Amino acid sequence: MSINHASDLPISGNDPANIKLLKSALDSSISGIIITDNTQFDNPIIYCNKAFEVLSGYLREEVIGRNCRFLQGNERNQQAREDIRKAVTEGESITVELRNYRKGGELFWNELYISPILGEAGQVTHFIGVQNDITRRKNAEENLQHEREQVELKIEKRTRELNENREYLDSIIQTIRQGLIVLDPEYKVISANDFFLKTFKVENRDTIGRSLYDLGNGQWDIKQLRVLLEQILPTNNPVLDFEVDHEFPHIGRKLMLLNAHRIEIEGSFKDRILIAIEDITQIRASENRKDDFLSVSSHELKTPLTTIKGYNQTILRLLPADINPKIPMMVNKSGKQIDRLQNIITSLLEMSRIQSGKLVLDADSIDMNILIKEMLEEAQEGNPEHILIFEGQTNHTIPADESQISQVLQNLITNAIKYSPDSRKIKLMLTEVSNYIKVSITDYGFGISQEDQKMIFDRFFRVSTIQKHFPGMGIGLYICAQIIKQHGGTLWVDSEPGKGATFSFTLPIKAKESGDE
Amino acid sequence: MSKKLLICDDDRDIVEMLEIVLDESGFEIITETDSKRVLELISNTRPQLVLMDLWMPVISGDQILKRMREDKNISSIPVVIMSAAQDGKEVALKAGANGYIPKPFDIDKLLKRVNEFIS
Repeated sequence: MSINHASDLPISGNDPANIKLLKSALDSSISGIIITDNTQFDNPIIYCNKAFEVLSGYLREEVIGRNCRFLQGNERNQQAREDIRKAVTEGESITVELRNYRKGGELFWNELYISPILGEAGQVTHFIGVQNDITRRKNAEENLQHEREQVELKIEKRTRELNENREYLDSIIQTIRQGLIVLDPEYKVISANDFFLKTFKVENRDTIGRSLYDLGNGQWDIKQLRVLLEQILPTNNPVLDFEVDHEFPHIGRKLMLLNAHRIEIEGSFKDRILIAIEDITQIRASENRKDDFLSVSSHELKTPLTTIKGYNQTILRLLPADINPKIPMMVNKSGKQIDRLQNIITSLLEMSRIQSGKLVLDADSIDMNILIKEMLEEAQEGNPEHILIFEGQTNHTIPADESQISQVLQNLITNAIKYSPDSRKIKLMLTEVSNYIKVSITDYGFGISQEDQKMIFDRFFRVSTIQKHFPGMGIGLYICAQIIKQHGGTLWVDSEPGKGATFSFTLPIKAKESGDE
Repeated sequence: MSKKLLICDDDRDIVEMLEIVLDESGFEIITETDSKRVLELISNTRPQLVLMDLWMPVISGDQILKRMREDKNISSIPVVIMSAAQDGKEVALKAGANGYIPKPFDIDKLLKRVNEFIS
């Protein structure tokens, strides 16, 4: 398309007044307008309006006679120039966007519309160039483009991070030595980790997408599991340490500990169910073997000791009065060693039970007044060189395991005697403090340093300074502390080296709330 | 009146030891080391007290005790269980024992316990 002669305009071309009017009109335009003369060498600019001067920063006299390309500065190889050249050659109009430079060297985006003017013979005589500064639009476009690219980069980065995270989490899930399956709210398997597949000897393809209850010909349709998923989990989330005992057709009986977690966070994962499965079949079996072993060894060690102890005490009873006094002395000594052996056996078994968390409490109602009196009388009989004093009393019986509390008392009294060979007095106090009874056993012997006090309730700890002179295994106080702890009380020591020691323990007058009843 | 006491333990040495001790204290002692035969022996001899071990081959002390309690003729005879088992006391009392003595025991305590039932 091209604009034709000025004579097409409603204003007649030759009237000077009209020409002035037209020029004014051109100068009023906000677009820069130039006219070039295509009939002259190098197609020079022969006219520019005011807006062009504002746009380019050049004055009219600096522009007239020059080819338009000077506006392009050093950027002569723009694609748009190629398009212009083609349009000019073919005498067609064109709109291009050019990077141009103002007189001050400042870049601006020029939206250039070029239209040829045809002469009488149809040849191109002039070009009209209409120019608009589109720098702001261009910048906005460029900024937009830039931002878009940035956003895309960010998305790409986030996607990569998410993928990395997912792979990372996945590798964790695949590495843990526990079966893990994820179910949808209808109990269909969404995923299962390698350990699950391996433990239960199943393939991924037979597992994913199928209802848990249908897996492996219904071998997972376990009553306890249904109770967990359908009755417990909906109201108690999460469920921890849920025991399931099941006979599987191929892999045999499995004892499993389950943790189940229903996802409550709103979103695409809501109501998915995570189930972690620990196969404790072997652990439980070896625990049972250990229990059996302990139980049998206890029995087998104590049985011969029963005969030895019985005969030893009977010999003592039957000895004639006029016998060589060395004989009852020797029988007495062997009796003490038998008691020591018995204590060691009991302690070892107690310790094993404590370690496996099976220190079962036989809750009797004990009268501590009587128990302490009996224990002291017994100790007094065996240690006539010490003076054992009992002070105080309680008006309450306490719920406790009599044999275990006896063991604690015996241990503490024996220790008090053992570690105060040069001091004769041992004092035992029984009091009530708040809702506890408190028993304190005081000796006036070696005492225990602050440093050692911290460790005497540890297993196999023995105070180094007395170790050589007083044999022992260092488990007595550990067991005492554990027994008192299991009863809901505390065992502690107050001592100063050289001044003796007071071991005290408390026991609640009322049973622990955590009991079954 | 004689103080008749039946001792049942599969460990012969313990039975012999108890026999000496208790005989010395003036009891009439009946002993048995084969737990299969003890129910019949109790029925036939009707002791005033049975002193019985827990872990014995074929039939254990608590099983014998349960059968005694089901038999009208001997159900009222007191039984004291003696055992070296960890859970002996629990098992014994559950089976209906009148008393329990952990092994190894002091002879004094044993005699005291026995005398509580036979006086």
